[in-house]
This record gives sequence, structure tokens and C-alpha cells, in this order.
Amino acid sequence: MAAQVIGRRSPQDAAAVAEHQRRAQRRGRIIGIGRHLVLALICFILVAPFYYVVLASLKDSTGIFQYPPKLIPFPPYFGNYERLLTDTAFPRWMLNTLFVATSVTVCKIFLDSMAGYALAKLDITGKRIVFMLLLLLLMVPFGALIIPLWTLVYTLGLLNTYWALILPALANPLGVFLMRQFILGLPRDLENAARLDGVSEFGIYWRIILPLIKPGLVVLAVIIFTDQFMSFVWPLISTSSDDVELVTVGVAALRSHGGVDYGLWSASAVMSMIPIGIVFFVLQRQFLARSLAGALKQ
Amino acid sequence: MTTIQPAVPGPATSGPAIELVEISKRYDKTRALRGVNLDIESAEFLVLLGPSGCGKSTLLKIIAGLEDPNDGEVYINGRLANYLRPKDRDVSMVFQNYALYPHMTVGTNIGFPLKMRKRPADEVASRVREVATLLELTDQLEKYPDQLSGGQRQRVALGRAIIRQPVAFLMDEPLSNLDALLRVQMRTELLRLHRRVGRTTVYVTHDQVEAMTMADRIVVLRDGVIQQVGTTDEVYGRPANRFVATFVGSPPMSLFPGRVTHGDGGARRFQGGLTVDLPAGPAIDGEITLGVRPEGFHVVGPTDAGAIEATVELVESVGADEYLSVRMGPETTATVRVESGSGIADGQRIHVRADPAAVHLFDAEGNRVPTEAKHP
Repeated sequence: MAAQVIGRRSPQDAAAVAEHQRRAQRRGRIIGIGRHLVLALICFILVAPFYYVVLASLKDSTGIFQYPPKLIPFPPYFGNYERLLTDTAFPRWMLNTLFVATSVTVCKIFLDSMAGYALAKLDITGKRIVFMLLLLLLMVPFGALIIPLWTLVYTLGLLNTYWALILPALANPLGVFLMRQFILGLPRDLENAARLDGVSEFGIYWRIILPLIKPGLVVLAVIIFTDQFMSFVWPLISTSSDDVELVTVGVAALRSHGGVDYGLWSASAVMSMIPIGIVFFVLQRQFLARSLAGALKQ
Repeated sequence: MTTIQPAVPGPATSGPAIELVEISKRYDKTRALRGVNLDIESAEFLVLLGPSGCGKSTLLKIIAGLEDPNDGEVYINGRLANYLRPKDRDVSMVFQNYALYPHMTVGTNIGFPLKMRKRPADEVASRVREVATLLELTDQLEKYPDQLSGGQRQRVALGRAIIRQPVAFLMDEPLSNLDALLRVQMRTELLRLHRRVGRTTVYVTHDQVEAMTMADRIVVLRDGVIQQVGTTDEVYGRPANRFVATFVGSPPMSLFPGRVTHGDGGARRFQGGLTVDLPAGPAIDGEITLGVRPEGFHVVGPTDAGAIEATVELVESVGADEYLSVRMGPETTATVRVESGSGIADGQRIHVRADPAAVHLFDAEGNRVPTEAKHP
């Protein structure tokens, strides 16, 4: 009896199912529209200030204060960029910044991954204590370190040098922590296989571990480069000469150099964003892929 | 045409290929191995068998040099190896999870041990081709490990181990990640490879079927102590103690405690009312346990000598045979093997008898009491 009922449906049931599906579709459409409206609003909030800065950089001083403002600057005015590149030390600041950020990134990638490997895989007496100290150091706010750090750098006679900008940044324990966590996830049998295959300890790090944590290294590189590129407080107090000044400090100092010049400021802000944009654009595929993989694994 | 060389006994190989003397290993308060002594002959396929945590993988790692023993000596090819680094011990290892380098192609993985030993590139390439031919991997050399099936990955791991032609291969549960069908296939392939290459192989497993089908000799370990070393027939047919008797064999041996006062053979009763004609050879006295494997029982008529009534609780068919779980008393159960199609059903009352020639006796400490005197 029951077998005969299976597969049959009365017209009333069919109508009820169709009505339910119609309602579900309508509800789905309304939710979709609402979701897009919220996303559009968030996009506008994020993009609008950036667009306004780009806009201001392409206008002359009267155009910036024109009301109502022109949302499409045509013809564009490149005078701000010209003055930035010729009347200020902006190119030098940019070179300094790129040099410091790249140096710190390369050194830290190397040091952090080696320290991470040692803390994750090698049998070292007291490595738990070292790791706990690193975690403790992560919790100390940078503000509390400024005076001792400045005193140290001053005593070593490194103020106003590239060393003052590079060396303190290398001591940031965040990278070691990240690398340790990445490397901990690699199976121990891989290293053991390499040991039996005749690879030295450094060879295991170089030939086996590094290639396997490449996505993690990319994430770390982007974090360090961005952090260095945008750092302001420490470069401000450890340098005072144009020769080693970084772009963040230089741009902030434009105000004291030439009074209020919104066009020049906007041009410097846009120019400052270009290198970081390039780094992120080049590495974004690996960066996003890794972030996603990490999220899914959780 | 492969030119993988069979094992060539060198000047130092007149003795065992691997010799372990009083090996002990502790992790904090846990004793993983206690005084292990073992000689592993050249070209032998030796299986280390035991439950999880018995120390078999630790022993393998100690041979490989990946762990250091707290006491004892390891000799490889007659040479003290305790202070040699893993790469200098002339052994290669196949890991449970294959441990292939995921960022290298199959060809690079297989050739990696030779490359690390700074062999010329053309020699590495030709040896990789030989090994790939032997393992039927020639079409896969340019692929990466994640593009291979489980069986292919296992073969790549084997290839990386055999390309160096070491004194011994160490295999740590290499088939445990494969599905049942592939495991049986790979078992055959491994044995074929072992016979072709002819090197000493030390194989760790907790799967007794794997151990019994592959081993020249089985070493049964428990809590870091060797329980028995012997061929499959010896370990199955003459278990050294109660642990080996119950660990080896599936379904396990049924045990019946009993007590014999100054016995010297004759019919004795054990728990559950089981009566067995004990051997007259060695004098038996005190607590004793009788062990009977499923095939040691026979279903008989109620009037047969030694017949005991039992209730069938479960009938499990495994194809050609059926295993009956029977209850002989409130605390006594046993497993009985009968041929398939016996018609016996759950809940049925039957009569069984233990074959005196197939029983095993264990003393109060669990050690085997020889019964061969009466039943040669």
C-alpha cells in the first residue's frame, strides 16, 4: 500500500510546493538586492576618500576648492606631481623607503623562517622558554619601547643612518611566530626522509622547508613590506636628515616646508601608494590563495 | 632492462646485516624499548609486529639513526652505527605517509638521494630511469606527487628507497594509508620487489595478516619487549606466551583458565566445563590456561567424548568459512570455525570438542608449556 503512494502527488500538494518555491525565490531576490546595497555602501565608504585624494592631486589650487566640485578632472592638472618631483626631496624619500622596506623584508624573511624552523623542528634546550619570551614581546606596545630603543641606537651612534631604520625592525617577533606556526604544520617524516637522503640540517631548511612554506613567506613579505612602508613614529624620531628620511616623514614635513598645499599633499599621497600597490598586485594571487586556504583549514 | 643489483655481501657481511644489542629507549618516564636483542640476517624480510605503542616504530627509527637509544648498540653490516648520522648508515626508509617532497617531480624525488650524494647528473638520470622501469613509473616521471594515486605515491617512495641500493630497507607501516584492495596488490608487489632486489628489509606493521603473509620471520613486540621471534608457522603454531597467542590470529585464540594439581597428563576440566586430554610429557602443576584456536574446535554429537554444550551467539560468514561465537558458561565464550553452509544459526545449541592435538597450554605467568611431547 505504502509503495503505491510513493512517487504520486495530488494537485493540491503540487500547487503548495510551487507556491513554496515561488516564495523562496522572491525571498532570495530580496536578500540578494539588500546584500548588494550594503556592499555598495561599504565600497563607497572605502573608495570615496581615495578617489577624492586622486581627484585633488589632479586639480590646481583653485580647482580643489571649486563648488560644486568636479568629479571628473578634465583636463587633468599635473603641476602638483611636477612640483613634488622637482621642488621636494620626494624621489630621495621614496628611494630611502624602498631600500629600507626591501632590506628589512629580505632579512626578516630569511631570519624569521630560520628561527621558525629551529623553534618548530629542532631539539634545542630551552626553546619553549625562548618561544614564550617571543610571545611576551609581542604583547609589549611599541610606545613602551621607543625610549630604550632610541637610547640604544643613540649609544651605538646609529642615529640618522639606514641601520637605525633597519636593525630595530629585524627584532620584531611577529614573523618568527608566524613562521613557526607554518612550519609546525609540516610532517616530521619529510625532514627525516631528507636526513636519510643525505641532506644537511641547513639543506633541509633550504631545500625542503623553504619551498613548502612559500605561500607563508609571501604573506609575511607583504605584511613586513607594508608595515615598513607605512611606519612613521620610529623613522620620525631616529632620522632628521633628508639623506635617510622616509616618505612618510617627508610627506608629513611638507606642511612645515611650504604651508598648506592640498594639491601637493594629495600628489604625494597618491605617489606613495604606487609601490605598495605594485607589491600587493604582484603577490596578490599567492596572498589571497594562502589566506583562503588558511581560512578553510580552520 | 633494469640493472638494479642484488645484495652483494661485502667483507663485513658474514654476520647479520643488522644487529641490535640490549637496545633501550625512554621518553621521559615512558620506557619505549627494554633490552631488545635482535639479529637481522642479510636479504631477510623481517616484520616487527605489535599493537600501537609497543615500540616497533621507535626500534625502526633507532636503526635509521632518527632516534638515539639510551642504552645498547646498533651494528649495521658489522659496523657500530650508534654514532653515525642517518645518511651514513646506508639504510633507506619508506614512511607511512610516503614523505614525498611535494614541490619536486616524481623523477626528482626518486633521484634526490643520489643528487644529495653528488653523483653525476647522467648517472642519476639513468638510475632514475632504471628504477622507474622496475616500478612501472616511466610515464609519471614529470608529474608531481599530488597528481598521483595512493599506490603510485607508494611506488615513488619505494623508488626513492631502492635507488641507493642500501644495506637495508626500513619500512614503517608503508601500506596502512591504502585501501584494502590496493593494500593486497601492493603487498604482492613489495614481496616481488624484495625478491628481485634481495636486500634486507625491516617492515613495521600492526596488521598481523600483512606480517604473516610477507615475513620470513616475525618479531612480536609488546611494551618495548620482544615476545617472540620466529617464522609465521612458529608464531602462529607455537606462540611463546599468552600475549602472542591472542595477538596473532584472527579471530583470536580462545582461552580457558583452569587448575591442575600435580598433574601428569590425562583428562582435565577447564572453565566452561571444557575437558581436554592433557599431554603426559612435562609435569603440569598449579594455575594453567588452555588456548584453542577457532580451527582447534570441532562440532560433534552430544555423545562424543569430551563434547560440551554451547549456545551460538553469533554466526559470522567470511566466505569459505563461518566463525561461531559460542557461549559455554556464564563467563566462558569461544570462537569456533566451521565450513561455510553448516546451517548453524544464532541461538542454536550445539556440542563442540577441542582437538587435544591443537591445544596450547600457558602457565600462571602466561608462558607456553610445551605440549609437543605427546603430540609430535
